[in-house]
Order: sequence, then structure tokens, then C-alpha cells
Amino acid sequence: MSLLELREVEVEYRRSGRSPVRAVAGASLSVDAGEVVGLVGETGCGKSTLARAAVGLVAPKAGSIWFEGQQLRPLGRRARSRSDARLQMVFQNPFSSLNPRRRVGDQIADAMSILGLVPASARRARVAELLEQVGLPPAAAQRFPHQYSGGQRQRIAIARALAAQPSVIVLDEPLSSLDASAQAQVANLLKRLARDLKVGLLLISHDLALVRHIADMVAVMYLGLVVETAPTRALWSVPMHPYTEALIEAIPRADGSGWLPEALPGEVPDPGHPPAGCRFHPRCPYAFERCRTESPPLVGMKKNRSVACWLHEPGGEHRAPSQFARVTRTSGVGDHVDGI
Amino acid sequence: MKSLLSVQGLRVQLPTASGLVTVLDGVDYEVEPGQVFGIAGESGSGKTISVLALLGLLPEGAVVEGSASYAGSDLLHLGRRAMRDVRGKEIAMVFQDPLTSLHPMMTVGRQLTEHLVYHLGLKASDARDRAIELLEEVRIPDPAGALHAFPHQFSGGMRQRIAIAIALACRPRILIADEPTTALDVTVQAGILRLLDRLRQQSGLSVIMITHDLGVMSSVADWLTVMYAGRIVESGSTADVLRRPRHPYTAGLLAALPHPEAAEDAPLLSIPGSPPSPQARPAGCAFHPRCQYAVASCATDVPELIGAGDSRRLACPVDPLLVRA
Repeated sequence: MSLLELREVEVEYRRSGRSPVRAVAGASLSVDAGEVVGLVGETGCGKSTLARAAVGLVAPKAGSIWFEGQQLRPLGRRARSRSDARLQMVFQNPFSSLNPRRRVGDQIADAMSILGLVPASARRARVAELLEQVGLPPAAAQRFPHQYSGGQRQRIAIARALAAQPSVIVLDEPLSSLDASAQAQVANLLKRLARDLKVGLLLISHDLALVRHIADMVAVMYLGLVVETAPTRALWSVPMHPYTEALIEAIPRADGSGWLPEALPGEVPDPGHPPAGCRFHPRCPYAFERCRTESPPLVGMKKNRSVACWLHEPGGEHRAPSQFARVTRTSGVGDHVDGI
Repeated sequence: MKSLLSVQGLRVQLPTASGLVTVLDGVDYEVEPGQVFGIAGESGSGKTISVLALLGLLPEGAVVEGSASYAGSDLLHLGRRAMRDVRGKEIAMVFQDPLTSLHPMMTVGRQLTEHLVYHLGLKASDARDRAIELLEEVRIPDPAGALHAFPHQFSGGMRQRIAIAIALACRPRILIADEPTTALDVTVQAGILRLLDRLRQQSGLSVIMITHDLGVMSSVADWLTVMYAGRIVESGSTADVLRRPRHPYTAGLLAALPHPEAAEDAPLLSIPGSPPSPQARPAGCAFHPRCQYAVASCATDVPELIGAGDSRRLACPVDPLLVRA
């Protein structure tokens, strides 16, 4: 069993006077020690909700979350169980996730005193060690978060998560508020932590290019469902789900060629009223009759991959959708120059 | 060909608690008709200030020097009234976040027709017809219905399309787009980039594109200018600059991007340190403390931006291409 396992997790948000939204409609994934799992998808696909459910910040409506062999209980009024502290989270914006009025060192030391991991006399040394691990000088402990840039603050947030000696860290868009060079530095740091400390990372991001660089496994989410999972390199060379293919085609390349990325027509539909059949079919250039009525299950394919698409037979060969003949085109989709 | 817009020696000082701080320190650039002119750089490099100055949108107390000639007048020295006739009519702007740049409590129709009536003096019914045309142009489904809707009823990509429609309402000659796709998903971003490209081709619109994303630049910009700490460090045709970056900073930015053909487990190459704040810019070349090619003179002499073969201007005495060779 993996360190962190999400099985058929569903999360529903209730809205006053309107039908509830199923933000996550049945998603499964797992994270092993030292493994980096990337979770990608567009705004509104439910990836952040799934991340919050994974650490118990929201309660799933159905399905279960297992951490270190125990079922994770969602956060309630009582203190979080001590063993769950080994599951940590890093948030998107280090400007709001760090306390502006407390010294960096004190914030990092909190976990040590609360969990009784390090005796008071050794805490200062441990804080210095953690800061060094994330590439900051030990003197940073005496300073305040506002004295640091965005990238450095994100390092502090990571050091604080590491203080609890986690086996898994869930990171929600940890790089998206950073500049390019800071992004590269933090991305390298995450990769090194997973490799050296054997921490499992669940990395939520909308930036596929970065996920491709850091993650060992990638799960692609669309409108509350995981539609494809695969080892990173395989996913990139042969995307099997039409949505994955579209996501990769939409990434601009900084090569000076003037190549314009492909637009995916339409936008993520309202999760309160998902389309019938395959949720992706209204935007899919390969959709055929069956896609409009039946929702495809996520089925296993060769070499540790899975995909939810009627184009593929269970256990079949790896083929990108563009390698299939285009059966029918959804009316009008191809006519737009730049999509809607 | 005469440039549509020519900016010379633009210097901007902004007031802070500790006195005036130089944010832009001598920036020159020219925008040609029908061209997408890209300004790239990290946050704090002054890329946004360099265009806000053109439209008189700097905060109270800012000190602006230099000139920006557009259609026979100097934008930096226009009176308030004259500027009002340029802003929105001749030169329009689209911002990063359409959720804050659109008025949340005004219908899309009212926001679209407002300056048609003000700048062009159209009658209400003509303005309405023109508004529908504009929404069609940016591919909003059911444009007539959209006129009565509020911004929150649209998705992020749609809102940015509406913001672009509003900017285009008076058929400006220059559209300034400040990080127009940064808040959007890649799939939606691709649509906006294609829209800008189509507008440029169909109507000869000039676009000043500001973004930190060199991938976006590669897709749409004809000309690329890279800024660091308030100065231009390199500029040239996008193909030249991105294929053979010659300033160590440009080269560093490109190396920091995840590359499709990179070997597995190769770390991203990052530039050490972080950009200086305007209050604490290093002497000499502002980039020298982070530069692996720096020589002694870099710490004292500010390198001039000079022609460097092909289409390029370069502000670096140590051309990394030559060092590497």
C-alpha cells in the first residue's frame, strides 16, 4: 500500500438555494515515499479541492483517504491526530501562509514543540539545519517573513512543513506566484527533497511544463475526474486522453519559432451541471456517439498507465488520440480560428 | 518607415516614504505599425511603469523625463485634456486581471458603449450595434445577450476577451497588453494569443505586449525587449533574441525554463539570487552580482545599449556567446 492513497474520493460543496456542486466526482491516486506525483488541470477542475481533501481540510462525501495505512479523519473541532502530522501541506501564496508578525525561526520551531519532536535545547540547531536544507542562511531564523522575496518565503514555508518530519507533503500551486528564476530554484529544491529525504510529494499545478520537470507520475484532472495517469515521460511522449493532448499542445514554446499554441475550444463547464456522458465530449475533437451518453471509466493500460476514454480498449497499446482517425467532429469546433 | 511610437530616454522616479526612487533609468524603444512589441522582465524590472508613463497613469508626484512621440506630439508632456483624447481612443490598455479591471456592477454593454459615446460621439443605438460587432469580433457567443450581463457571469477567458473588446472599441492604433494571459489557463491563453495575432493581421493594430513569459513572447511578439532593474539589457527580433540570447540575464531566463528535450533529472538552471529592489540597485551593471561572466568593470561602469550585429542591441561588454566559444 502506498503512503498516501485516495480511493474514489468525492467532494461536494453545498450552495444555498442551488443544487450542490460535486467539485471532485470520484478521483483515485496514490503517492509513494520519495515519489513526486503531479496533479494538473484547468481552473475549476477540482484539483485544489482534491488536495485539501487529501490532507483532511475538507471532508469527502464518499470514498476514503488512507495515510500510512490508516484512514485519515477529516479535520474537526478536536486536535489533529499526532500521526496525521506526518502529512503536511504547503499553500500557494507564502505572503498569506506565513505569519507576518512572528520570526521565521519561531514559526519553523512550532511543529517541533507541539509534536515534541526535538528537545527545546536542540531546536535552534534543528531550525538552522532545516533552513540550510531549503537553501537559506541560519541567520534567517531571527528575521521576519517580509524581509524575504516570494521565492525565499516559499522556501520558509517548505522548511516549516519539513519541521514536522513529514512522510508526505501536499503542495497546492507552490510555484505559481513566483518569478521564473525563483520558480526554477524552488522546483529544483522540491526534486532534491523528494530524492534525499524520501518525502512523497503531491504537487498540484496548472503549469504542465514545470510538472513535467519535477514529477515522476502525473494525474490529469478534468471537471472533477481523473482522466489519465501515467509516468511523466510516457505521458508527454504519448498522451492518451484527448484532453491531455490538448493541454500539451497549448503550451507556448520559448524557441523563437513564432509557433502559435493550439487553443482548446470552449471552457471548463460549470461543475454544477456537468455534460452527460464523457464530461469532455463537448470540447473533444474526437467525440463520437457513445461519448455523448456513456461516461468512460478510468481503466488500466500497459506500463502503469490508466485513461478514461472510449478511444482506448482496456490494457491496450499506447496511442495518442491524433493517431486515431477523427471519427466525427463536434459541429463548428474546427471552424474557429482561435477558439472561444 | 517612420515609427508609430518612439520613446527616447524615458526616466521615471516614483515617490516613496524615503524620497524619490529611480524606477526606470533611460529606456528607448520604437513601436512600428502592425507590430507586436514585447517587453519582458521579472517583477520590479520596470516593464509596466514604462507603459503606464505613456498614458499618464503614474501615481501623483512621479517625475518623468524623456520623450514619447506619437502622431506629432509628445505623450509625456500632454495636458490632461489632450491625454484624455489619446487614452482609450488612440492607445488603449488591457490589464492582467479582468476581474479587477472590469467594473463589477456595470453591465458589459454599458462598459463597452461608454467610450464610444464619449470619444466618438455615437448615438446610443449606434453604440449598441458597434458593441455587438466588437463582441462578435472577440468571439463572445450571443453578443446581444452578453450586453445585459455582468462581468461575474463570464469565465476568466471570456472576461479577458470582453476587456479586449472594450479596449478595441474606438479602433485604437496601439493596444497595450500587460500580462493579459498570466491569470489564465494555458488552453484559454492560447485562444487569447490567437485572437491578438488575428487582430494584428486583420486591422494592422500595433500591440505592446508585457509579460514575464518568454513562451508567450515567442508565440506573438515580432520584437523582444528584455528589461532588468529599470534598464533595457537586450532587444532585437524575437527569433534572434530567443534563439541566440546574448545578454547573460536573457540567457539565464531561458535556461530557467523547463525544456522539452532536457535530460531526465537535469536540474533547471536558475540565476542565483533575486532581482534587486529599486531602492537598492547595485552600481555599474545592475545584473553584475548575479552574473557568472562579470568582470571588474561591470561593478563600476553602466554598460551602454549598443548595436551588436543582426537586429540586436545589447548592454553587456562581455558577450557570453564569445566567452562560451
